[in-house]
Amino acid sequence: MSVYLDHAATTPLGPEARAAMEPYLSERFGNASEPHAYGRAARAALEAARATLAELLEAEPGQVILTSGGSEADNQAVFGLAGSAPGRIVVSAVEHPAVREPARELERRGFEVAWAPVDGDGVIDVEAFERLVRPGDRLAAAMWANNVTGAVQPVERLAAVAAEAGVPFHCDAVQAAASFPVGLRSSGAATLALSAHKLGGPKGVGCLVAREPGRIPPLVWGGGQERGLRSGTENIPGAVGFAAALAATRAAEDRRAAMRDRLEAALAGDIAVVSAGAERLPGHLLALVTGIRAELLVLALDREGYAVAAGSACAAGDAEPSHVLVAQGMSARDARSVVRVSLGPGTTEADVDGFAAAFRGCLGRLREGGLAEAV
Amino acid sequence: MYSAATVDHALALRFAGGAGPGAVSGEAGDAVCGDAVRIELRVADGRIDAARHRTFACPHGTAAAELACRLAEGRDLLGAATIGSSRLEAELAPSAGNRGCVALAADALHEALAAALGTAELPPAEGRVAVAMSGGVDSAVALLKAVEAGLEPVGVTLRLWIDPGAPDGERACCSPRSVRAARDACHALGVPHFGLDLREQFRRDVVDDFLSGFRAGLTPNPCVRCNGGFRFAALAEFADRVGAPRLATGHYARVRRRHGRTLLVRGADPAKDQSYMLASVPSAILERCWFPLGEQTKAQTRAEAGTAGLAAAGRPESQDVCFVGGGDHRAFLERHGGAGPPGEIVDAGGRTLGRHAGVHRFTPGQRRGIGVAAREPLYVLEVQAGRGRVVVGPRAGLERRTVTVTPGRLLAPAARVQAKLRYRTEPVWATVRPGGEGFTLDLDEPVAGVAPGQTAVLYDDDAVVGAGVIAPEEAG
Repeated sequence: MSVYLDHAATTPLGPEARAAMEPYLSERFGNASEPHAYGRAARAALEAARATLAELLEAEPGQVILTSGGSEADNQAVFGLAGSAPGRIVVSAVEHPAVREPARELERRGFEVAWAPVDGDGVIDVEAFERLVRPGDRLAAAMWANNVTGAVQPVERLAAVAAEAGVPFHCDAVQAAASFPVGLRSSGAATLALSAHKLGGPKGVGCLVAREPGRIPPLVWGGGQERGLRSGTENIPGAVGFAAALAATRAAEDRRAAMRDRLEAALAGDIAVVSAGAERLPGHLLALVTGIRAELLVLALDREGYAVAAGSACAAGDAEPSHVLVAQGMSARDARSVVRVSLGPGTTEADVDGFAAAFRGCLGRLREGGLAEAV
Repeated sequence: MYSAATVDHALALRFAGGAGPGAVSGEAGDAVCGDAVRIELRVADGRIDAARHRTFACPHGTAAAELACRLAEGRDLLGAATIGSSRLEAELAPSAGNRGCVALAADALHEALAAALGTAELPPAEGRVAVAMSGGVDSAVALLKAVEAGLEPVGVTLRLWIDPGAPDGERACCSPRSVRAARDACHALGVPHFGLDLREQFRRDVVDDFLSGFRAGLTPNPCVRCNGGFRFAALAEFADRVGAPRLATGHYARVRRRHGRTLLVRGADPAKDQSYMLASVPSAILERCWFPLGEQTKAQTRAEAGTAGLAAAGRPESQDVCFVGGGDHRAFLERHGGAGPPGEIVDAGGRTLGRHAGVHRFTPGQRRGIGVAAREPLYVLEVQAGRGRVVVGPRAGLERRTVTVTPGRLLAPAARVQAKLRYRTEPVWATVRPGGEGFTLDLDEPVAGVAPGQTAVLYDDDAVVGAGVIAPEEAG
């Protein structure tokens, strides 16, 4: 298999999570709603996982709602805080689709959405945010760290602005939680969304951490699990794996920033670093290769044995360039020429050096191909 | 996602770059996604020695450009002109949403081929026939008949100027979508296709004439002028370039030889007959023309298209005055400087009845939009552009028994003819008196609403024996 440098997309299941999950994938398969031994074992594991998550995320166990992942948590927060009667919400211009699309749906349902701008590095403009957020707004939403650029947002200041206006603040911490501690109390957020698979946990599980869970109505109705806030038989291996992965993430030594800096030094002259002026996630590099379509470079690197992402792929039926990059002032054409490299905790010097050599080789071949000039 | 072939071609890049000095090029781009493909061809003796591309596109578009160049290099122009989206899609297997990316490369290749043809002249080949393709059902069936007749057809679509402000420009027969549809119709039958960009020439020769005619208070028919002076001349020139002795179109008309003359004859379907529109096609070109649909009805054409499974079977009819693109021609005139002067509305005695906003809004016989109250219905009798006047009066004042046609041509001796004085009207019996730059028609019975600037076409039985432009009354 090739060297995996796309950790912002998803991560491999870590050994701690895998070991913790193993019994709940086999002999301890019970339904946590049942009173028998199988059920009690499942319930105990679930609540232990919830307690771990709560402790790591600076919350009470009752404030942690387990969901099917980050997108569900974001959806529940945005739709839940917004309510059903049309009102006004403030959302940053660079949100992940899991927040952006619910906001656009609210817009279609008659809500007014104020899109908060970012600066040239993709960092939300706090003063503009302050001007936009008004008392009576249903919610204000901003992500902790951006999934495309890796730019870390001034979350505590944004939360303070919202608190000043008495507006609940939702923070999508999906990307950030893999890189540094995120917590409900210290952030000042009303709700936080997390996903397990971005930080060495399994796919299909995430959580919404809510200061006042009772204010967030459910998206999924049914058997009343998660105190009625998220029905559906609980995903015990998922919850256990999620908690173990988050704990392992907090405990691990993090060399990603050093590896990323090494990579950027090796590629200096071949690329421009996007959001270079912002604080960025430690393992995250968005590289601009002007004139070369990112998808081609990604395919070429794949042949060389390196897995990275196009920063803004042109999906069928979605020809618009990335809203994130356009929001920070990038031209539509440059937005097609960004490659996202996201390192993991296990990325080594050898990985980075080999990748840099392959990157330069592929880039050179594509440039020599005379592809872009003069068009 | 990308097929294995797409990845292979996108990364091969054996044909990326420039084709060297003297190469011709074609470009295509997508304004929304920002993708662009440029293809360069170096052509010698009608053969493509080098095909290269410079592409800024997703892997689908890049692979398509690479493949298009690989397929085109080494082929002659006609062979390369059979390469289109369907050929590229067959190899690259894009999903439905990515077919547009592949089509960009086909567009760029065909633009380059058209440019290459502009510098080439292929040796004549006996069975070769240039077929004018509009993207509609008529030309598609005409092409089918050419193939079935064992001829060697070469399709051509003229891309003409369309009002950018038109509400329904895509329905016009020369829109980019129609050019692609025409190309696909040819390629489905294995026939080469060229698209010629004549927008500027068309705007100069046909549209400007239409605008100045209205400014002068005339009611010009741009379609007759386009066919007679522009479209068929361009087709004949194209036929010469590709070495085709004959040219074919999907018009409902026929060509007959009579007494050593080549005459245009009405199509067999009286409801679809288009001889009026073709009346001023010069006989030197008419001699080379074949109208495969002349002997049949539109219903037969549709049935044949359905039986053969042609994609064009369900396409809507294209419109008259195509460049207006489905809009109101008065609004078109006002947008493009075809508006005539405002002025007075007067009666036949010169008495002022009201004012109007511009003479281009009026044509003889018109009843609506005069805006003057009267005891009996008023009709436009005459438009006097020089004085900015529109003369109105009761219907009786419209009637004319004499019509002067100048310039006009008599194509065969004829004293008694049926004269068609406007498109989609019944012809009337008339006696022809040649004279001056044209001729005068003495009508057997009075006709209302004869409009200066319109085309008069004379028929002897079914044959067109004369045509010309109806002159303003003062000249008569």
